[in-house]
Amino acid sequence: MVKENNSLSGWVDTYTQPMYSWAFHKVSDAEMAKDLVQDTFLAAAEKIDSFKGDSSPKTWLFSILNHKIIDHYRKKVKQPLRLENNSLEQFFTSDGEWKKDKQPGDWSDNTENLLDNTDFQAVLKECLDALPEQWSTCVKLKYLLNRKGEEICQEVDISPTNYWQIVHRAKLQLRECVENNWFKN
Amino acid sequence: MMKKVMHYMFLSCLKATELINKKSEAPLSCVQNLQLKAHKSMCKACSNYEKQSSILDNALQASLNKEGLSVDIDALKAEIQAKIKKG
Repeated sequence: MVKENNSLSGWVDTYTQPMYSWAFHKVSDAEMAKDLVQDTFLAAAEKIDSFKGDSSPKTWLFSILNHKIIDHYRKKVKQPLRLENNSLEQFFTSDGEWKKDKQPGDWSDNTENLLDNTDFQAVLKECLDALPEQWSTCVKLKYLLNRKGEEICQEVDISPTNYWQIVHRAKLQLRECVENNWFKN
Repeated sequence: MMKKVMHYMFLSCLKATELINKKSEAPLSCVQNLQLKAHKSMCKACSNYEKQSSILDNALQASLNKEGLSVDIDALKAEIQAKIKKG
């Protein structure tokens, strides 16, 4: 037992950094990434007896971590679906046409260097955080895991219709937020 | 009435923006593509939406995947070590 704890402690030393980077890459939230790494090691400590050494400790730890990451997203999406009914009406008339004040305006032509602009990144992040949590979770899954909607739906167990509704609303709101806070400023 | 026919043939803005989002993940049908093209040629707002939507796609991709936020890894290690010993 003592020996096992020692090896675990060695793994903490060796793998905390790569595991944190991986988790951060997947959830884009430093606190959450820290918690996930911590939970992984606690789970590993609990079931260290089941680690047979068939795989490398690294593979074993990362497979626990990956489960934790998926669980994290699954829990978030599983919260009761809150699609505010009026959120599309906010943008479109009952005929499905843009409301006058909601039409996407012209963004200036010089959008080329936007991706390198840290101020723009900050605005984008703020706008993403302003979305209802479930929406931003879907958006993060889409871009972070670089997965297609279908796979995301399977993984977090929502219907494709719900997924596309969420993405549609989230993008409309993001676009407007970015336009108001960046292009009109 | 006229509006309904137009929307049926050339999509409403609501439907057009929905298809623009979907297009980034999977190809649309031929008819949908034609409808969308026709719609955009008549609708400045939706053609703006498409351009901006792809800018957002790229920006989100880049910013979410950016390795960032230097976290104190040593502090995290110490915290985990302490918790493992307690448990």
